[in-house]
Amino acid sequence: MQEGRVLSAEQVNRDLLRSILETPKWFWPVVGVLGLIVLIAAIIIGYMINRGLGITGLNRPIFWGFFITNFVFWIGISHAGVMLSAILRLAKAEWRRPATRAAEVLTIFSLMTAMIMPIIHTGRPWRILYWAFPYDFARGIWPNVRTPLIWDPSAILTYLTSSTLFVLIALIPDFAVLRDRTTGISHRIYALLAMGWEGNARQWKLQIIAGVLLSALILPVFVSVHSIVSWDFGMAVAAKSWHSTVFAPYFVVGAVHSGVSAVAFVLILLRWMYGWQDYIRHEHIDGLGRLLVVVATGWFYFFVMEVIFGIYGREADEIAVRSLQFIQEPFQAWTIIFIVTTYFIPVALWLTRRARRNLWIMSAACISVNIGMWLERYLIIVPGLANRTGFTFSWNSYVPSVYEAIIVGATFAFVSMLLLLFSRVFPLVPLYDIKEGDILKNESVKIGRRVVPATFRED
Amino acid sequence: MAKSPILGLFKDANAAADAGDALKSSGVSENDIDFLTDAPYPEGAFGEREEKHRLYLFPFIGATLGLSAAILLTSMTQLAYPLVTGGKPILALPAMAVVSYEGTMLGAILFTCLGVIFESRLPKLKSGLYDTRITEGYIGVLASVEDGDLDQTRGILNQAGADDVKTEG
Amino acid sequence: MSSHSESHYPHDMWVFPDAQSTTQDVAGKTASTPGILKLGLAIAGVLAILGVVGFVLRMTTDGFSDYGAWGYYAAIFSYIFVITSSAPLVAVAFRLTKSHWRRPISRISELFALVGVVNVILYIPLIYLLPPINNPNFVPGMHGELQIRKTIWMEVPFGAPHLWDFLGIISLAVLSLVILWVSVVPDLAEARSSASGWRNKLYALLAGHWYGTKKQWIHQKISLALLGALYFMMVVFVHFLIVSDFAMSLIPGWKDSILPPLYTVTGFQSALSIILIIAFTMRKWGGYEKYFGTSVFWSASKIQIGLTLLWTYHLFAFFITLWYGRMELEQNILRYLMFESYSWIFWLNVIFIFLVPFWILVWNPVRKTAWGPALAGISILIGNLLFQIRMFVGAFNAGDIYHLGLFKVPPPVFPDLWDVFIVLGGIGLVAFIYLIGTRILPALAVWEVKEGAMYQKMDTLYRGEYLVLAKPE
Repeated sequence: MQEGRVLSAEQVNRDLLRSILETPKWFWPVVGVLGLIVLIAAIIIGYMINRGLGITGLNRPIFWGFFITNFVFWIGISHAGVMLSAILRLAKAEWRRPATRAAEVLTIFSLMTAMIMPIIHTGRPWRILYWAFPYDFARGIWPNVRTPLIWDPSAILTYLTSSTLFVLIALIPDFAVLRDRTTGISHRIYALLAMGWEGNARQWKLQIIAGVLLSALILPVFVSVHSIVSWDFGMAVAAKSWHSTVFAPYFVVGAVHSGVSAVAFVLILLRWMYGWQDYIRHEHIDGLGRLLVVVATGWFYFFVMEVIFGIYGREADEIAVRSLQFIQEPFQAWTIIFIVTTYFIPVALWLTRRARRNLWIMSAACISVNIGMWLERYLIIVPGLANRTGFTFSWNSYVPSVYEAIIVGATFAFVSMLLLLFSRVFPLVPLYDIKEGDILKNESVKIGRRVVPATFRED
Repeated sequence: MAKSPILGLFKDANAAADAGDALKSSGVSENDIDFLTDAPYPEGAFGEREEKHRLYLFPFIGATLGLSAAILLTSMTQLAYPLVTGGKPILALPAMAVVSYEGTMLGAILFTCLGVIFESRLPKLKSGLYDTRITEGYIGVLASVEDGDLDQTRGILNQAGADDVKTEG
Repeated sequence: MSSHSESHYPHDMWVFPDAQSTTQDVAGKTASTPGILKLGLAIAGVLAILGVVGFVLRMTTDGFSDYGAWGYYAAIFSYIFVITSSAPLVAVAFRLTKSHWRRPISRISELFALVGVVNVILYIPLIYLLPPINNPNFVPGMHGELQIRKTIWMEVPFGAPHLWDFLGIISLAVLSLVILWVSVVPDLAEARSSASGWRNKLYALLAGHWYGTKKQWIHQKISLALLGALYFMMVVFVHFLIVSDFAMSLIPGWKDSILPPLYTVTGFQSALSIILIIAFTMRKWGGYEKYFGTSVFWSASKIQIGLTLLWTYHLFAFFITLWYGRMELEQNILRYLMFESYSWIFWLNVIFIFLVPFWILVWNPVRKTAWGPALAGISILIGNLLFQIRMFVGAFNAGDIYHLGLFKVPPPVFPDLWDVFIVLGGIGLVAFIYLIGTRILPALAVWEVKEGAMYQKMDTLYRGEYLVLAKPE
C-alpha cells in the first residue's frame, strides 16, 4: 500500500512545517474558543472544590459517575497512540509513517486530561499527594500499596513519562530541521532542543534503534495501564459485575478500539486543516479501517465473555446488575445505543473498501465508536453501583449535574486545544519518517507489465 | 599538524557515496569521514563505517535499578505503616508486583532514553561544520583532514560532484 | 555493483528459491520416505497402539460411569484439540496480514486439518463422560446443592452441551479440510504431471478442475480469505465451548471469564511452536533449507514472544482478580489449581510456557537462528501439556459438581500407567496421521513460495545491498 508520489525534501519541509512557520487565519480564533471553554470548566472546578462534590449528581450508593467514566474514556483514547505507533513500527508497516506522532501526542494529552478527572473527583485534590506519593515523612503516613487506586498513579505516571520521552526522542531530528529554518528566539529554542543534532550515520542508527527498542518497552507498559485501570473495578467484590477476571484484556482491547478510531479521526481532521493530502492519504485511513475491523471484533469477543460469565454463576445480585444494564430503563436504551454504535454500525461500514476510503464515512464511524465506548464505561460503572446490595441504606439513582456535563465536555476542548498548540510549535507528522519512506521506495519489482510497490527493508 | 573539518554538499546520494569512496582511496581514514543526512538512509548505504554502540545495556541496567527501587519503596512503606487492609498480608506480593512492574519498566525506559542521547553523543555543545541545506535534502560529506590536505580534499569533493564545499573560517 | 556492496544479513537469513525447480523438488520429496521419517512413523505408530491399549484398559477397569478416572484422557484430548485446531490459523492469520515470511510454513500449518479427524474421534468418549447439567439427585431445599450446575448453557437447550460441542468440533475439522483443499489444489494440479500411481489418481480427483486461470486464482484467494476469517471465529468459539464445558463447569463455583481467552492464547502459542519445530526439522533433515531462510524463524519468534507475554498477562489477570477478592470459594480455586494441590505442576507450567521461552527468545541473535525458536517451541509444548493436566485432571476430579462452590480443596490426582499410555498414545496418533499426510500432500505450499519469489529480491541502494519487499494490494 504505497500510493503516494515521492516528494523532495524541501517540499516535505515546506508542507509539514506550514503549521509552525505560518499561522492559518482560523488558528487563534479556534484556540481562543477552546480556551474559553476550558476556562469556564476551570472556574467550575474551582467552584466545585470550594462547595464540595455536593454540586455533582453523585449520591449514595453511586459515588462514581461522569468523572470516572470520563477518566476511563481518556485513558482509553491514550492507548491508541503508543499501540499504533509501536505495533506498526515493530511490524514495519510502511503506512504507519504519517500517523505515528499524532497518535503519540494524542496519547500524552489524553493521559494528562484523564489524570485531571480522578484528581478533581476526590473533592480535595491536594490530599491525593499523600495518598499517592510516599513523601509524608513527618506524619509517618504512607501510601497503601494494597489498593488498586495507588497502582493507577504509578502506571499512569510511568506511561506518561515514557510516551513523552518517546515523542521527544523522535522529535530531535525534526527540531534540527526547525533550527535550520527559523531565526531569532525561536531558532535559539529549537537549537537548544536539537542538542546539536547534525544527522550523521551514528545518530540516525541510534534514532532508528531507539524507535524499535522504545516501542518494545512501551507496549508492555501500555497494556499494564489500562489493565490497572480495569482493576480499580475488578479487585472489588462489593459492586457485582465488576469482579470479573476478563476485565483487564477487555478494557485494553476496548481502549485500543476507541483510541485507534480517535487517531483516525484526528488524522482526517489534520489532513483537512493543513492540506496534507500528500501525506495522510486514503491508503492510511484505509489501513486503519482494516485494523479496526480486527480490533473491534476482538473487543466484541471480550464483551461477550464478560456478559456471559456475568450471568454464568446465576447469582441473584449479579443477575440484578445485568438486568439493570440490559432490561431496565434508562440503562437499557443506552446499552442498545452503546452496542450498536461501538460495533455494528462502524464494522459494517469498515467492511467495504469504498467506505474506508470515504473520509466522511470514516469520520462518522470513528465518532460513533467513541460515543459507544464512552457509554460502555458509563454502563459498567453506574449500574454496577446502582445495584441495591444488602448493606446499602439509601438508594438513589444518578443524574449528572450540569457542572459535571460541562467539565466532561470541556475535556474534549482541552485535548483539542493542546493538540492545536502542539501543532503550532512541533511538527505533527514526523518529517524524517516521511523522508525515509521516500528513500526506501523501490520501483524495480515488476511482474509482467505491472510495477508492484516495494520497499527496501533494513532488517 | 592539526586536523581541520571540510564539508562537501551533494544533491545526489550516489555522488556523495562516490565522494566517500574517493576520500577513502586518497588516504582519509574511515573514521574521519561522516555522512550528514536529513533522513535515515539504510545502514551502509554510503559504504560508511559500521557504528558500534552499547545501547542494549541501558534498559537492563535501568530495569534492575527500577525494580530494586520499586521493591524497596513498596516494602518499606508497607512496613512503616503496618495496617492490615482488605484481609491481605502487610507485604502483599501481588500488589507489590504491580507497582514493581511499573517501576521496572520506568527504569528501563528512562535509561534507554538516556542511552540514546549518550550513545548519539548528544548534546553536542560545540557546533561543528554544518550547513542548513542538509535538512533540505542535501547530503553532507564531512571529512577531517590534515590542514595541508584541505585543498586536495576540496578538489576531490568537487570532482565527485559537490554543489558546495565548506571549510571553517 | 561496487566493491563496497555487501549484504547486512547472515547468508541463510533470506533465501530466494528457484521457482522453476520447486514443483519437481517438492514432488520428489513428497514421494520419497527417507529413513528418519520411517523411524518417526514407526515410533508414532507404536505410541498410538500403546494409546489404544491404555484406552481399552481404562475402559474395562473404570467404565464410562465414573468420569473422574478419565481426567488424563480429557487433558490429552484438550491438548491435541487446542493445538491442532489452532495450527491452521498460522497460515490464515499471516495470509490476511500479507506477511511474506509465512509462505514456507503455511502448508505445515494447514496440514493440521488432517488431524481434525483425531479430534472428532477422541471427543466421542467424552460425550458419555460429561455429567449431565441437571442434578439427577436434586432434592429441593438441600443446602448448597444446585438443581442445574453452572454452565454457559443457561436454560439447558436441547442437546446441550454434548451435541453442540460435538458439532463445533466437527465443523472445525470440516472447515479446516476445506481450507487445506482450496490451498493445496494448485500444487496438486502441477504435481499431477509428475506423480504416478495412486498419487496421480488422487491428485486428479482433488485438483482435476484446476487450470490456473486468472479467475480461478482470484476465486482461490477470496475463498481462502473468507474461509480463514470464518475459521478464526469458529476456533475461538469452539475453544470457549470446550474449556468452559469440560474444565470450568466441572469445578464447583469456578466463574472465570478469562479462561476462554487464556485457553485460546495457549492454543495459538503452541500451534506456532509445533509449526516452528516442524519447520526446523524439515529444514535440518528434510532437505528444505533452500525454502526456509532463518528470517522465517526470526519473524515468527517475534510473534511468539508476544504470545508468551500475552499468556502470562492473562494468567496474572486471572490470579490477581481471584486473589484480591478474598472470597473463600475463589481462594480455594487458587489453592486447588495453583498453590496447593497442583502447585508443582503449576510452577513447572509457568516455567516451561513462559520463563524458558521468554529467556530464549528475548535475545535477538537467538531469534535469528532456526534452533532457538524451535527450542522455545518444545518448552512451550511441554508447558501446555502441564497446563492441560492442571486444568482438566483438576476439573475431572474436583468433587461434587452440583455444589455451590469448592469448600474443600481436593487432593491432586496422579497418572497411573494407563494414563501414561493414553497421553503418549494421543501424541503418537497425531504424529502418525500428520506424517502420513506429508507423504500424500506436499508439505510446502509451492504456489505460495513461488508467488513470494516474485515479490522478494535483493537490490542495491547506493553502496549497500538490501532486501526489497513488494506488497501487492
